[in-house]
Amino acid sequence: MNKIKLLFVFAALMLAVPSFAAIDTIAVDVGISVFQTMPIGVVPFEEEGKIKWTSEAPHLILARDANLSGRFEAVPSDQFDLVLFSKKRARQYVTGNATKLSNGKIKLDCYLYAAETKDLLLGESYTVKPYDVRQAVHSFFDKVVYRLFGERGVATTKLAYVSKIDGTKQVVISDYDGFSRRQITRDSSINMMPVWQKNNKGLVYVNFRNQRPNLYAITFGGKETPLFTQFKQTFSPAVNPKTGELLFSVTDGGKTEIYRGDMKTGSAQKFLHLKSNQVSPSWSPFASEVLFTSDRGGSPQVYAVGKDGTDVRRITYMGHYNERASWSPEGDRIVYTSMDEGKMNIYTCALDGTDIIQLTSNAGNNEHPTWSPDGKLIAFASDRGGNYQIYIMRKDGSSVTRITSGTENTSPTWSWFFDEKK
Amino acid sequence: MSKIIKFAMMGFALAFFAWGCSKEKPETDPNPKTAEAPADSLLNLDALIADTLSADSLARLEAERLEAERARLEEMINRLMTEDVYFDYDRSDLTENAKRLLAQVAEILVNETRFIVTVEGHTDARGTEDYNISLGARRSTVVRDFLVAYGVDAGRLMAVSYGKERPKVQGSDEAAYSKNRRAHFRVSIANNE
Repeated sequence: MNKIKLLFVFAALMLAVPSFAAIDTIAVDVGISVFQTMPIGVVPFEEEGKIKWTSEAPHLILARDANLSGRFEAVPSDQFDLVLFSKKRARQYVTGNATKLSNGKIKLDCYLYAAETKDLLLGESYTVKPYDVRQAVHSFFDKVVYRLFGERGVATTKLAYVSKIDGTKQVVISDYDGFSRRQITRDSSINMMPVWQKNNKGLVYVNFRNQRPNLYAITFGGKETPLFTQFKQTFSPAVNPKTGELLFSVTDGGKTEIYRGDMKTGSAQKFLHLKSNQVSPSWSPFASEVLFTSDRGGSPQVYAVGKDGTDVRRITYMGHYNERASWSPEGDRIVYTSMDEGKMNIYTCALDGTDIIQLTSNAGNNEHPTWSPDGKLIAFASDRGGNYQIYIMRKDGSSVTRITSGTENTSPTWSWFFDEKK
Repeated sequence: MSKIIKFAMMGFALAFFAWGCSKEKPETDPNPKTAEAPADSLLNLDALIADTLSADSLARLEAERLEAERARLEEMINRLMTEDVYFDYDRSDLTENAKRLLAQVAEILVNETRFIVTVEGHTDARGTEDYNISLGARRSTVVRDFLVAYGVDAGRLMAVSYGKERPKVQGSDEAAYSKNRRAHFRVSIANNE
């Protein structure tokens, strides 16, 4: 078993090294890092007054954020320990103070220190209700990412996904790490395919209350609106990250085609003029191109096309079922789902379809990949543990972590960045 | 106007009331006129009472007939809703078995013109949600097109897709898959005017 695993690791190494040579954060499973993630010390907060944490203590949230981020590796320690930090090459560490206030709120002072000099690199203070501690700590963690990498982190982002609640598929959202879950739909038919509206102000999803798939938009804390009611059956929504415009599939007379529509006015035009069926549109990061799936070659394959609907080119050639492609936020790779002998697995490839890397294998079905907005991670659904749950992995397929549990959870879609002041 | 026609009219009116459906509007139109006719003679009133009494028993007979008719329709609808059309993996063309079954379905629908049918296209659990909705749509449309070609009024047939969302049989083997790759009929009776 171990031998097989090791072989797989070597195979992954062989595949991974040339393609990611320019990227500094790749790591391969079972602890052998090709390009080291950055170790960071994590020390428990000093607590004033006995504090009962709603979910976890702040340092545990920070350690989880660090390990999930694809950038760090947490080096936990009960107190500041320069020997340990030096040995593990943790050049910085995070810690803080927590004070219980008389009004029931908690004051969190969070710090990022340089380990050797003990210089304070970053300090942030939050006064929050106990339930909002996670949010505050995530916020601090993203500031740490910004301080050390000059990039935005994903600890404050969220996921939308489909959860089976009392036997009905409902759309829910949660923090990117699976905590703080909130149910969005309550309709008793089927709710599915959630995607985030521009600026994360709400979702677009599919509902079957009219005994057929139809798109709806919902604003958080607001109301639900049916979309593009001029069509009988609509699904596969994709939001343009720049304009908020929607691409979606329309089924009419047995033919499924992609349309482009404005959610505000309700007007929509045919996007592609092809004879084949088309589903699963996905915008490129700067909305200059679109990926979609077509069966024009006899089996579902991934194609790319310009934003004006011209210059169709085929991306995938290997295998008989390649679907649901989505463009990485960094713009350099495509992730998609491929089916072989009835099993679904996740692959990435370069923009011209070459340099294919299989990210999942020998672990049930793995499908519906979605990029984190920083392009470092991929969330997906897998039934490897018996029933479908949501997992997060690094973009090279390593560090797979389950983030949901309970009844079936499927079809994750990662939010955009939430705009926060730095 | 002869009594017989009046009887027939009252009978119809009651029958439609009982059935909750009135498709032949013109025949119910004369009624208001009858009601508005000046009842200035006793003879007229007597006749009206006699008519109503007979109409009562007539209505009872009619109700029994309708009950039998309803049972017959119910059985037919049940049959339509249990007989699914099955497809091969990732295919939407009709097998010989499917065609034979659809010919029988078409026969029923050609005769029962009040049946409104929604053809649901379904797929097995393999593949993505998105692709399976398009596959289910192709299946339901192929079935709909077959029935229309057979002579069923296209206006009474709607094709929709559920993709892989509503499996008939749970499981992840061919036995379950083959039962889930189907077109399913949902039947209602036109009762609006």
